[in-house]
Amino acid sequence: MQRRDFLTLAGATLAAGFSSKASAQAQGWPERTVKVILPYAPGGAADRVGRPWADKLSQAFGQQFVIENRGGASGMIGVEAASKSAPDGYTLLLTPNAPLAVLPSLRKTPYDPIKSFDPVGRVGDVINGFVIHPSVGVKTFQEMVEYAKKNPGKLTFGSSGNGTSTHLRLEMLKYKTGIDILHIPYRGGADTLNDVLPGTVHMMNEPVSLPHAKAGKLILLNVNSQVRHPDFPDIPTLTELGITGADVPIWFSIFAPAGTPKDIIAKLNAKMQEIARTDDMKAKLIAVNAVAPLQSPENMAKHLLEDIKANAELINAANIKIE
Amino acid sequence: MRIRSGQDIATGLLFLAFGLAAYWIGADYPMGSPQRPGTGVLPRILAWCLMGTGAILCAKAFLADGTALTRWAWRPVIMTTLATIAFALTVDNLGLVVSMLLSMTLCALGTPETRWREYAIFCVLMVALGVGMFIWGLRMPIPVWPVSLPGALSWN
Amino acid sequence: MELGSLFSNLSLGFSVAVSLQNLFWCLMGAVIGTAVGVLPGVGPTATMALLLPATYFLPPEGALIMLAGIYYGAQYGGSTTAILVNLPGEASSVVTTLDGYQMARQGRAGPALAIAALGSFFAGCVATIAIVLAAPPLTRLAQQFAPADYFSLMVLGLVFAVVLARGSVIKAFGMIFLGMLLGLVGTDVNTGNTRFTFGISDLFDGIGFVPLVMGVFGIAEIMANLTNPQRRDLVDAKVSGLLPTKEDIMRSIAPVLRGTFLGGLLGILPGGGAVLASFSAYTVEKRLSKTPEKFGTGMIEGVAAPESANNAAAQTSFIPMLTLGIPSNAVMAMMIGGMMIHGIIPGPQVMEQKPGLFWGMIVSMWIGNLMLVVLNLPLIGIWVRMLLVPYRLLAVAILFFCCIGVYSLNNSANEVLIIALFGVIGYLLMKLECEPAPLLLGFLLGPMMEVYMRRAMLLSRGDPWVFLQRPLSLTFLAIAVVLLLFVILPNVRRARETAFQE
Repeated sequence: MQRRDFLTLAGATLAAGFSSKASAQAQGWPERTVKVILPYAPGGAADRVGRPWADKLSQAFGQQFVIENRGGASGMIGVEAASKSAPDGYTLLLTPNAPLAVLPSLRKTPYDPIKSFDPVGRVGDVINGFVIHPSVGVKTFQEMVEYAKKNPGKLTFGSSGNGTSTHLRLEMLKYKTGIDILHIPYRGGADTLNDVLPGTVHMMNEPVSLPHAKAGKLILLNVNSQVRHPDFPDIPTLTELGITGADVPIWFSIFAPAGTPKDIIAKLNAKMQEIARTDDMKAKLIAVNAVAPLQSPENMAKHLLEDIKANAELINAANIKIE
Repeated sequence: MRIRSGQDIATGLLFLAFGLAAYWIGADYPMGSPQRPGTGVLPRILAWCLMGTGAILCAKAFLADGTALTRWAWRPVIMTTLATIAFALTVDNLGLVVSMLLSMTLCALGTPETRWREYAIFCVLMVALGVGMFIWGLRMPIPVWPVSLPGALSWN
Repeated sequence: MELGSLFSNLSLGFSVAVSLQNLFWCLMGAVIGTAVGVLPGVGPTATMALLLPATYFLPPEGALIMLAGIYYGAQYGGSTTAILVNLPGEASSVVTTLDGYQMARQGRAGPALAIAALGSFFAGCVATIAIVLAAPPLTRLAQQFAPADYFSLMVLGLVFAVVLARGSVIKAFGMIFLGMLLGLVGTDVNTGNTRFTFGISDLFDGIGFVPLVMGVFGIAEIMANLTNPQRRDLVDAKVSGLLPTKEDIMRSIAPVLRGTFLGGLLGILPGGGAVLASFSAYTVEKRLSKTPEKFGTGMIEGVAAPESANNAAAQTSFIPMLTLGIPSNAVMAMMIGGMMIHGIIPGPQVMEQKPGLFWGMIVSMWIGNLMLVVLNLPLIGIWVRMLLVPYRLLAVAILFFCCIGVYSLNNSANEVLIIALFGVIGYLLMKLECEPAPLLLGFLLGPMMEVYMRRAMLLSRGDPWVFLQRPLSLTFLAIAVVLLLFVILPNVRRARETAFQE
């Protein structure tokens, strides 16, 4: 396997230099290794959702789909690299929505979320919800809201950073319910969990907290998604709680550099939907708290636009700024 | 008053320069409030500290004997720097082999002690070792050859 | 934990770890880890990232055992380059360069490497026992730390950095401040604003530690040594014995014990204790020694203590990961990633749901340490012989490894440019006799200190007294102040004496 990989890699690199025969290749695509850029450091949430997919796609197409981690700047560096890659179907981007749907509203990005990419398919929506430390004494979402209304500014919430999706979820919660919770930024979910477990900080909203909710160390209050989490059948979704349009989803998907031939995109999307339907993939995804919706590239483009708009409004309303 | 320590005054001036630069660049970072210290708080504090340290050193240079400055060895400094920059600029475009050759040779040029025949053999060994270890062994996605070689070299 | 269940857990662990397959993976991990640790720049994080997809095809125990082996194998290997060529392979080996490299220059590279390996092995054994016996209580202890406590710990660490300094204290302060400023380059976590980045997106996450170290230590050393034969009176002639003398061993016993204890404790702190391990141990040795001024010239204690400390910390840093699923550093995050690839959700239930995996990993850590000592001791002879390569060729090799090591971290050529810049700066600092170690420590601790300070202030709603109200925080700050006085007062007195003489 080693030598074939080496030769494939060498060949791929050589061929990358002159990849102009893009459109004619759709029939035979993929004929060599496909590079999938993950704009985050290895070992994180993106890896956990992305690697099973890369594996399945490699099996399905008989060619290696290789993940390349290019972390940095909240995903900007990897996304920028992908936007500048050749649109021949041999470089793809697997990313959560944040760098495309949130970041451009907060700062100037070296890419345009709509114009630089063509959507391909959905990979997984992450389900999680607000968890709270038991020391606060509340057990349900409504109790938490009441507590917060009676004690404004007393509850604390740890996010993965200023302007990240988890921060936006807090802002959305505050916006829709009118409660006041103190926001404490951290550097990612694990960092937050460190202070939430002993109760130094009360709440968070990250997948890393779910195993602890299962073990009873933390209390899960709600689920941020359209469906309930199979491991927590009693916990309601925000919509069920009467708070509509408050989702702030975190969804992973694959994009291709703008200009990638339409038939390659269609082929990949069809295969992705096929994979998403298998029980094996569903099980693998649920293990990392994700569900993969089935969506065509066109609808995905619409979904992205809506997401960008919703996030921009929220950022405006909550006055989140980055200089 | 004479300078009694070239080293102290040089270091002192260096610290002052860095401190000043830090202060100036960070001058309009938001300072925030006591509850939420802002982005600019620590940079400003550090800039002051660094400038203070620099000032003390400059004062010491006049008041106490210390070491004098020594000469710089320009050749190795320049060649090593060039070697590193050469690697950085060529590894993506011209591949590992070429960039290795380029940077190692520039480095070797940095010392008069290099014996060229010996170097040539060593060079070949290093390139083989490098490619073997990093491409084969660790499977790093680094281009080995220049990207623009004709398709005749494509194995697939 | 009662003896009965302890015994059954350990035997379960042994049965898992001692299978032919898992022993093989352990060995693989140890070998790769050592190789990777020796290669300057290529660190365990990068290697694990590269090998993570390969582990997909292995059984979960084998995969995790191998990954763990890479991690602490790299600790062993990192000290090798630190001692031999003044190039620390890891943040934790920076302190080893202070005395280890000096020992190498005196022809005592062999004993230095040997003591480092043996000390690390001892620390690894003790740490493994600690994990087995006390993982839950240790975790609870770690949970007592609030942001305010971490802040004070970092402040203490910075004071350690001053104590570490060999030469001028004023210059050490300057280096620390400069290091902290360099550490601030990048995005401010609390607000998302960028500092000192000049708009370059590669700098948004700050200057990488590895490029900085490679430049200031590696490239600058090459520049200094290339045309200055007197400077590198290395091992050209004398390789006086590969084994440590009786005296070496006697002198190392207490430092190893102290280092293990300190490192083991600091390693459990998920908020970044392990970084402090090696140089706290060094500082403690320096303060306890009867000849503190000799530290930095080749004292064996200065190698024994930090090496034991960093290995102990490396092992105990598994605790938060194993018991709570919280990664204390990037490597642990990778391990968690590895677990999740195999469908194992890290967290409190791993101990109950997958006892074979849990205990198997712990036992294999001990086995791994054993393998590493057996591997590394004979290698010492080879390493030392490598030093006999004429410097004109060695320099070229070091340069190459630095470049490729840094490039491989993020596939980024820009980071290699950073080494070039810091190489020049490093050389400048060397010429001015400013030590790089305080710079690096400031670089590491400064940003952490700021993060914790702001977080503590947020939580206390702006009340600065919180730092003095929490007992842990107060203790650390008190020690810091005392140490600082110890360091500054003699200098002030000396300055006044000189001034009076004028």
